[in-house]
Amino acid sequence: MNIDSLKLKKISALWIIVILVLFIASIVLGILMRLNQGKVIEQSPLTFYTNMTTHGLTMIGIWFAAGMVAVNYLLQRYVKTSYGVNLFAFILTVIGVVMLWVTTYAGKFSTGWTFLYPLPFRDLGSESWSTPLFLISLTILGVGWLVWSVSLMAQIFKKYTLAQAFAWQHFKSNPTVETPPFILITTVTLVGVIASLIAAVIVIVLYFAEYFSHGDFVNDALLMKNLIYFFGHTIANEMLYLGLAVIYEIFGEVSDRPKWKMTWYISLAWNCAMVFILTAFFHHLYMDFVQPQALQIVGQLASYLASIPSAAVTVFSIVAAVYGVKVRWSIVNLLFFLGVAGWVIGGLGAVIDATISNNIMLHNTLWVPAHFHTYNAMGNVLFSIGFFYWFSTQYVDKLVLSKLTKYTLTLLIVGGIGFLMAFYVAGANSIPRRYSTYPVELTSGPYLAKVGALFATIYLIAILIFFYNIAKRCFVILSASSR
Amino acid sequence: MQQHSIMLFFMLLVGIGTIFFVSIFMSSLKADNDSTGVKNLLKKRFWFTLILIVVLGIFAAATLPKSPYFTYANETPSTVIHVGTMQFSFFLSTKPIDPKSPSGETIEIPHDQLVEFRVTSFDVNHGFAVYDPSMRLITQVQAMPGYVNNLRYKFTEPGEYHIFCLEFCGTGHPVMQTTFKVI
Repeated sequence: MNIDSLKLKKISALWIIVILVLFIASIVLGILMRLNQGKVIEQSPLTFYTNMTTHGLTMIGIWFAAGMVAVNYLLQRYVKTSYGVNLFAFILTVIGVVMLWVTTYAGKFSTGWTFLYPLPFRDLGSESWSTPLFLISLTILGVGWLVWSVSLMAQIFKKYTLAQAFAWQHFKSNPTVETPPFILITTVTLVGVIASLIAAVIVIVLYFAEYFSHGDFVNDALLMKNLIYFFGHTIANEMLYLGLAVIYEIFGEVSDRPKWKMTWYISLAWNCAMVFILTAFFHHLYMDFVQPQALQIVGQLASYLASIPSAAVTVFSIVAAVYGVKVRWSIVNLLFFLGVAGWVIGGLGAVIDATISNNIMLHNTLWVPAHFHTYNAMGNVLFSIGFFYWFSTQYVDKLVLSKLTKYTLTLLIVGGIGFLMAFYVAGANSIPRRYSTYPVELTSGPYLAKVGALFATIYLIAILIFFYNIAKRCFVILSASSR
Repeated sequence: MQQHSIMLFFMLLVGIGTIFFVSIFMSSLKADNDSTGVKNLLKKRFWFTLILIVVLGIFAAATLPKSPYFTYANETPSTVIHVGTMQFSFFLSTKPIDPKSPSGETIEIPHDQLVEFRVTSFDVNHGFAVYDPSMRLITQVQAMPGYVNNLRYKFTEPGEYHIFCLEFCGTGHPVMQTTFKVI
């Protein structure tokens, strides 16, 4: 085996093991939160909110990294990527995550993943050093991911011109060069990732400026909120797109179906998606009535428009690849197919919430975690686990659908639907999100939290089985030699 | 009951989506080596996209005018309530509130008359969410330091209304609440 190829496999295997371990730990934190809300266990509010902050930040970080790992691995088919940068990003991610957990658990930093200005400066109960350490940990993660993203982008532009990377030549008939869909989606996604990370850098600089000015410099709360949601919303959506790039690349080959070719409408759809996704974040600020009204309307229109290229091109293509044709089903493409269904259903919940006249009754209720957990826990996570399976089984054993796999998938679906339904029903019952315990007046809150915890535990069992199967194969890859 | 209508609508969409994906999956299990799948793909894709654009366009046209920024915008409120927020209290007053020594008063709002809440924060971001006597969220706005958000509403039912904070503001977030009466 080629030494470069083996090094990439090993670092990818290491990433996968670390991501899954952190995923399991973060699910446990989520279950503890629901158990506390259900009054099954009793945690102090400070413990609950440190768990909530750790859960949110870790989940965003690991699933973004998972998408990047998969894209980096598959990009090697088209361009040469840097092993050194991949390793650099891994080391900085591990250091950043460890610092983050020290910040939350030793420093009691508990502002939630949104760390809305100026809460980190008025975070009651936390250690005074936790805010600068939190900002430093974000800086370390940001530097690692920004260098990684820019490096992958640079490698793409070494082989493809700007127009080719964005597949613009496909708007004309008979283009001389074909851009693989994987290259287009990766380019479009990296643009969004880099834009969101630059916004994060600005937020961190503004926080540090105020921290070190000792009162001479004060930030603007509305500007900070816009920047934080531009970063948070964009990166959370781009990580889904990283997963979709993987599906475009390997769904055909694992299903024994032809690989998707670039067409003018795939090119148009992904170029449009790049624009819409960068402006949809305004829907997070609907309830800030001082935000200019034009931006609120742009938020709703961009949220609606973002669904069109996704549904008309990606979902339609996957449906067309499966409908009425013989497909070689395995755990990999089943997870991809199931993930697309979860992504669509979560997207429906998101479009409902992105409608301003609905948002006034749903904003910051449990409807919000309901829809984003749908397209993450039952969408993006499945895209990545599908990739992990495909990656780990390539040279170890064959992809077969065993009985255990079918039972595990059943547990995943039952657990996932149950814990999401508890969120949706609570959202429709006006139960607020981010409450460590519920006021007595909100009677259905604790009951639904217990239901959510129970089904999330079933989901966790399925993930543990997946973890065992994937990790044991990754350890084989880690111990392989080049000879 | 608007939230429950939204939930029913969503469940209907979920049901259609589930049947759709299951039937697509089942069709592949039944297929043999000679099956060719979808014919005239580009034509079908065109119609699917067009229908999607029309449906979303109708939804946008129907819902955008109902956005809270436009409701009661041309009416003059008969009552103005100043709302100050800070970790972890609400202050409601008919007079402007001094951020250095905030204090509130018992509020009674006449029903069927337009009220304007002028909502701000003296420290971090908070939420100002109004729950009716049946504990249903009926309207809300954010409370942001340095800004005043004006929320207008016409209460039709007399009774005790709760206010909860709906933006995470620290460890006391879930206990931040108050009430007012509609008479």
